[in-house]
Amino acid sequence: MSTIDLPLPGARTGTELIPAVDEGVTQTGKDFTSDQEVRWCPGCGDYAVLKAVQGFLPDLGLRRENIVFVSGIGCSSRFPYYLDTYGMHSIHGRAPSIATGIATAREDLSVWVVTGDGDALSIGGNHLIHALRRNVNMTILLFNNRIYGLTKGQYSPTSEVGKVTKSTPVGSLDHPFNPVSLALGAEASFVARTIDSDRKHLTAVLSAAAAHRGTSFVEIYQNCPIFNDGAFDAIKGMGDHKGEKDYAIIPLNHGEPITFGVRDEAGPLNGLGDKALVRSASGNIEVVDTADISTEAILVHDAHDPDPSTAFAISRLTAADYLNRSPIGIFRQVERPTYDDQARAQVSDAAAKVSGSAEDRLTALINAGDTWTID
Amino acid sequence: MTYVIAEPCIDLKDRACVDECPVDCIYEGKRMLYIHPDECVDCGACEPVCPVEAIFYEDDLSDETQAYIAINADFFAHVGSPGGAANANVSDHDHPFVAEHPHRSSREVRV
Repeated sequence: MSTIDLPLPGARTGTELIPAVDEGVTQTGKDFTSDQEVRWCPGCGDYAVLKAVQGFLPDLGLRRENIVFVSGIGCSSRFPYYLDTYGMHSIHGRAPSIATGIATAREDLSVWVVTGDGDALSIGGNHLIHALRRNVNMTILLFNNRIYGLTKGQYSPTSEVGKVTKSTPVGSLDHPFNPVSLALGAEASFVARTIDSDRKHLTAVLSAAAAHRGTSFVEIYQNCPIFNDGAFDAIKGMGDHKGEKDYAIIPLNHGEPITFGVRDEAGPLNGLGDKALVRSASGNIEVVDTADISTEAILVHDAHDPDPSTAFAISRLTAADYLNRSPIGIFRQVERPTYDDQARAQVSDAAAKVSGSAEDRLTALINAGDTWTID
Repeated sequence: MTYVIAEPCIDLKDRACVDECPVDCIYEGKRMLYIHPDECVDCGACEPVCPVEAIFYEDDLSDETQAYIAINADFFAHVGSPGGAANANVSDHDHPFVAEHPHRSSREVRV
């Protein structure tokens, strides 16, 4: 067997080949709102994500008929019904695979996957990691509520150890996945994390994800008010965790030193948080008091680093139990050839080289390779 | 679309809805609470917790209470979209209609 060097298509943005709306046409959120009654429980974080997506899609300036939302099974997967775009409520865990087909066959479509922690990480775990390594041009939104909501409250692959649910009455034994670590391990080219109720941050991340050519993976912390209420209260500074937000969120901004905690603009730290990330002697990333180190020692976030190791180390700072600490923002954003661009180029190159009638080619194919004549 | 706070809230301000709102879009005026129409995500969490049933989905308002859609929206005319009530102070003003509304003590108590 041998390998050959594949031609690399030039750098493009995620939406470059997709038809834009006619000049002078202005879209609004209403253009992306379908006539379907939204059916989630009162207070569900999915409403906030839906509203943010409907508010953001007009910014893309793409034709509605060239946008597709594919979902799997779960509460989040009702999403396509509520958007006035094309969509598909597809097979449990298989939305990334169906979206791979759509994105590969149709370069003129903006392809989105909406999935949840159960759909993407349990039954669909395999499909997710393969979509990520292939780097198909699409955006995957993973709504993580750390519970099975649609089936009324069983533990999910992101539920913490010891969690008592209907299916784990004496506490879950399963070690949870960290979706961002998983995506970085699969070498996804765009990996981000955001929060359902922070519309500004969510919109900024969606915008960067759509602009990225390749698979953009976005984990969205999403509160389930019925079966796992308060799971993100520390991150949001709500409920019993009022005032904890500053220390719970580690904000990631490309090119900026990573600090968090209390920021005193007038203080000696010059607006930096009072906690900072530094590289330890062993090469790991650790949290220290900013006052104890020099400003130069603070880790500067580089989302464009081709090596995902540092991004992975940062992702490991996410609390595995109750979520009282989590890095939020774009962990990784690198250019890598996409599967769909390369597949289309291969097919058109190969098609251009064939000659002869279809019948001759079929005969040649049947007689090619490992065939024998048995006497 | 949005949820809307109407007359029963005036001079009451129970604030149960403020704790319930997942996107922190319910702001406090001097005499009434107001829902920010652009920040509300229509989730409906506030409506059942209101002890005086002051919260309605926009489409469910009666002809007499329709005016509260504009009353809630206009309250934010000069503040824009603060992006969360937790960081906003209690306003010392109200929509003019609410400000001039008869005080609860002088009105019949609704049951």
